[in-house]
Amino acid sequence: MNALFGGLTHFGALLFFALVVSVTFAFLSKRTSTERLHYTLWAFLAFLIVAIGIGWLMYPFSQ
Amino acid sequence: MRSGALKTNQTMALVAAVAGWIVPGLGHLVLRRWSKAAVYFLCVGGLACAGLAMRGGTFGASAEDLFDRLGFFADLGAGIFYFFAHQIQSAGPDVAHATGDYGTRLFAAAGMLNLLTVLEAYDIGRGGEAK
Repeated sequence: MNALFGGLTHFGALLFFALVVSVTFAFLSKRTSTERLHYTLWAFLAFLIVAIGIGWLMYPFSQ
Repeated sequence: MRSGALKTNQTMALVAAVAGWIVPGLGHLVLRRWSKAAVYFLCVGGLACAGLAMRGGTFGASAEDLFDRLGFFADLGAGIFYFFAHQIQSAGPDVAHATGDYGTRLFAAAGMLNLLTVLEAYDIGRGGEAK
């Protein structure tokens, strides 16, 4: 398990979190496979875009 | 007759909810929702194991402030992964580094996700879902 997850970078952890939560939400809220796939992709991209956007917004305060 | 069926549904829903809390996905397995059971186990288990592998911490029952208490309830949602956290990650938590702190959040998120799946299992057990 450590070999699988221990070397995760912060961005890798973000991608993994976004994927896992998107898939779970898709199975919780959608019925068909097509709907689930669309929802997973949509939620995954939304997680990614929002995280990167917030990162950019916070960047000036890290200096 | 109808009240007997309702009682059976209620019992089944409670059994599924408790099973799903202890082992993520087990509640759906009991209700014969095979794909959901597998997906929930892999997703919740994967997230919890990733959190522990990143050396995230877990909150204990003796938490003092409100934030820690909320963390405890979130962690507790992960069921078996919470109870065996120390066996899964024998090196223990290291929240002095950012990675460990992220691991703590991932583990709490796994617990919260599992609580959502438990609610769904309870709903299906009561006949609230036709899928």
